[in-house]
Order: sequence, then structure tokens, then C-alpha cells
Amino acid sequence: MQKNYFDKVHRWGIIWNIGALIMLLCIPVAISVHVNAWPEGAALLQVMPKLMALYWVTAVIEVITYVPMLGAGGTYLSFVTGNISNLKLPCGLTAMENAKVRANTEEGEVISTIAIGVSSIVTTVIIAVGVLVFSPILPKITGGAFKPAFDQVLPALFGALAAGYFAKHWKLIFAPVIAGVVVLFFSPSMGAGTLMFVTIVAAVLGAFVMYKKNWL
Amino acid sequence: MVPENFKESGFMYAIALAVVVFVIAQSVFFIVKSWKRAKELGIKKETLKNTAVSSAVFTVAPAISILATVIVLANALGIVLPWIRLTVIGNLAYETTAAQTALDFWGGSLKNAVTDPQQFSTIAWAMTVGSIAPLILLPFLCKKLQNKIGDVVNKSEKSKKLGDAISAAAFIGIISAFLAREINGNTVTSVEKTDALGNVVLNADGAVEKVKMITGSAGAISILTLISAMVFMVILTFICKRFKLDKLEPFTMPLAMFGAMGMAILLTNVLPESVSGFYWYDIGTIVG
Repeated sequence: MQKNYFDKVHRWGIIWNIGALIMLLCIPVAISVHVNAWPEGAALLQVMPKLMALYWVTAVIEVITYVPMLGAGGTYLSFVTGNISNLKLPCGLTAMENAKVRANTEEGEVISTIAIGVSSIVTTVIIAVGVLVFSPILPKITGGAFKPAFDQVLPALFGALAAGYFAKHWKLIFAPVIAGVVVLFFSPSMGAGTLMFVTIVAAVLGAFVMYKKNWL
Repeated sequence: MVPENFKESGFMYAIALAVVVFVIAQSVFFIVKSWKRAKELGIKKETLKNTAVSSAVFTVAPAISILATVIVLANALGIVLPWIRLTVIGNLAYETTAAQTALDFWGGSLKNAVTDPQQFSTIAWAMTVGSIAPLILLPFLCKKLQNKIGDVVNKSEKSKKLGDAISAAAFIGIISAFLAREINGNTVTSVEKTDALGNVVLNADGAVEKVKMITGSAGAISILTLISAMVFMVILTFICKRFKLDKLEPFTMPLAMFGAMGMAILLTNVLPESVSGFYWYDIGTIVG
């Protein structure tokens, strides 16, 4: 029964995924027709290899890293709407934590998908309303007295998320955090998406060693 | 005939609204299917409601941050293209890099408004083609990856303790990457090189020369915000358990986040500038 539901989710996901791909590719086509100007071939030949080397490789890492955490439905939704690491992933993780369900179970799958779906709708609506109604005053909100708060959204978000996990699994935190900080000494601008590879491996190895030594 | 205000014409708004409708339709579809399945699995309606409401509250602050990035790009690209791009797949780092890399071909900069339709169209293509890789990979990889993970988890459940530890460790590994960046990371951006008088430096081809500069860094405020969020979360969780406030429990996370953001404002204003303005890496330093 469980396998059937996951199979269905993958089928729906692939259909929506292909729809999103077609829609996305139609956007620059429509813009080119609209402005009556197609991109300069030489410019694309120079620009695309740079961007593809950078972002297509990152995409492979992101897919491998995020898929096990987001669940099937959550993955198909997240990769269409974007902002995964700074919003969809923590949202899905928090929802599963609150509902006391595990990732990669059917319960985890439905809870994560509902959370990410709601988050996608709220984000889309906030951006749309913000652009249509608030864009003239928005810089005053995010750039004025509230600037320090909006500059610190990520530490606030991940600090709160971390506290819940760390309270339960405090022994597991040292290896990945130390590994991450040490790697950043050598490459301080490494993005979280790439750094994640290092910290996940450190965390899993640490857990394995502690299990073997009966420290857990 | 190119419309005069081609970046913010009615046609561009129509494209944006079509994208918004698509994203909302896909989200509603998956929510409805998951909700039905959750009921079949016996998950309580209250749990599902709490999941939806707390996810919505949790999303507000990060979504406003994303909205702010739309405005950042609007100066060069108009408001509609950044809106479209940050509604599907996009994020600020990627969109800025893609647009700037495209503009580099003409020696242009995102600091100035893009007025040439061909440049605008090239940027739209660069942003799109560079970002679609995950959508091409997912149909081939998603199911295989999930089946593999399922097998690993099920095998590990033979020794459930190890399975649980590895599962928790993987989550903690993800969170740790972000914590490490807030403790010791910096952001490097490609910017225009200027001389001592502040004039833009051109290279031999006449294009604007670029250098990499530290534009953001972890420091006192990011670490104090991180600690504040953890403290708020611990206190709120304790209050929920102590007074049996089950209905408040799903909201502890967004509340802790808002509390920590409030602390960031307070600390920035109250602490001496030597502390609040302390960063590990000097902002403005050229790194290559």
C-alpha cells in the first residue's frame, strides 16, 4: 500500500515537473517575442558555459542532498518554487518534528508535503501582493528600523530549528558543527549547499562511531 | 515595435500572474492529495491543521526577505522579471550571478537599469537555462534516490537505534552547515573595480574590470541572534510543556524566530558599535 502511494506521488510529480519545465522555457521565449529581440548568440555562448558549470553541478549535489529530507511530494514542489535551503527545507523538517513523524515514512511524506505546499502558497502570495501593492514602501520596512532583523533571518531561523534537534540529540552536534567551522576557516565563502555535504558526512560518521562505542 | 516600458508592461505582468497560478495550482494539488492520504493513514485533523497554520506563520519572515530581494533586482531589471524568477526556482544569489554574468558580456552592471531589449532578453534566457537543471534531473533521480534511502532506512531498522541515530544525524548535518556559516562564514560578491578616486576601472577590451569582495560576514550579531533563537525556543518549549499548552506548541518555532529577529534589532541599537559592528571578516576587503 505504501509503495503504491509513493509511486502515485512520483507519477504526479513528474507530470507537474515536466509542466513546470515547459512553462519555464516559455518565459524567455515569450519575453524575446515581446521585446522583439532574441539573445545574442555570442553572449549566450560565453555566458551559458560559465553558469551551467556553476549551477548544474550544484543542482546535482542539491538533488542528492535534499531528496531524502524533503520526501517525494515535497521535493517536486520545492524544486519548482525554489528557496529550498532557506525556507522549504526548514519548513518541512519543522513540520515533521512537530507532528512527531519521520522522514521517508508515509506519514512523514504527507506532513512534509502539506507544510511545503502551504509554504509555497504563502511565499507566492506574499511576493505577489508585495510586488503589486507594497513595492514602493518595502525598502523602508526591510531597510529602515527593521533592517537588523531582516539581515538576521537565517541565524534566527536555523537557531530556532537547531534548538529542538540539539536538545534531543546533543551528542551528535559536535562533529558536524566543528567540521563545518573548520572547513570555513579554509574556504569561508563556501555556500551552505556545498558545505552540507561535509557536515552530513561528519554527522553520520560521528553517529556511527558513537553507536559502535556505545556512547549513544 | 518594442513597448516603451517593456520591463513592466501588461504582457510581463500577465506572464508573472500565469506563473503564480501555476505554482499555486501545483501546491494545492499536492496539499489535497496529501491531506486525503493523511486521513486514510489516521493522522488527526488537528495535526494536519497545525501543520498548515504553523508552516504559514513560519514562512512569513523568510518570504518578506525574498520579497526584499525582488526589490533589490528591480532597479536593473524592472519589478516583474525578478518577481517571476523568485517565484519559480530562483534565489537571490543565483539570479544576481546569472544576470551579472550575462551583463558582463557587454561590460554592464546591475547597478544601472537595463534599457536594451536584447540585453534584457539575454538575461531572461541566462536566468532560466542556468536554473532548470534540477527539473531535468528529478524525473530520473528522485524515485531512485528515495527507493535507495527507503532500503537503507529499512535495513537499519533491524538495529533501530542505529537507524534512528543516522536519520537524526543527517538532519543535524544539514542544520550544522547553516550554523557553521553563521558562526564563521562570509559572502563574497563580484563587484566593479574602482580606482582611488572612485572611478570604474576598465580593462584592455574596454569592459568594466571586476574584483571579488567580501560583502557579508558572520560576526557578533549573527552569533547572538543564533543563541537568542535557541534560548527562545528552549524557553517556549518549556512553557508549552510546563503549562500543557498543546495549541501553542506548533508555533514555538516561528515565535522563537520572530523573538530572535527582535533581539537582533535590540542588540544592534543597544550594544556599542564596536561590538554590534564586529565581523570576523572585514567587509569591503578584496579577496581576488
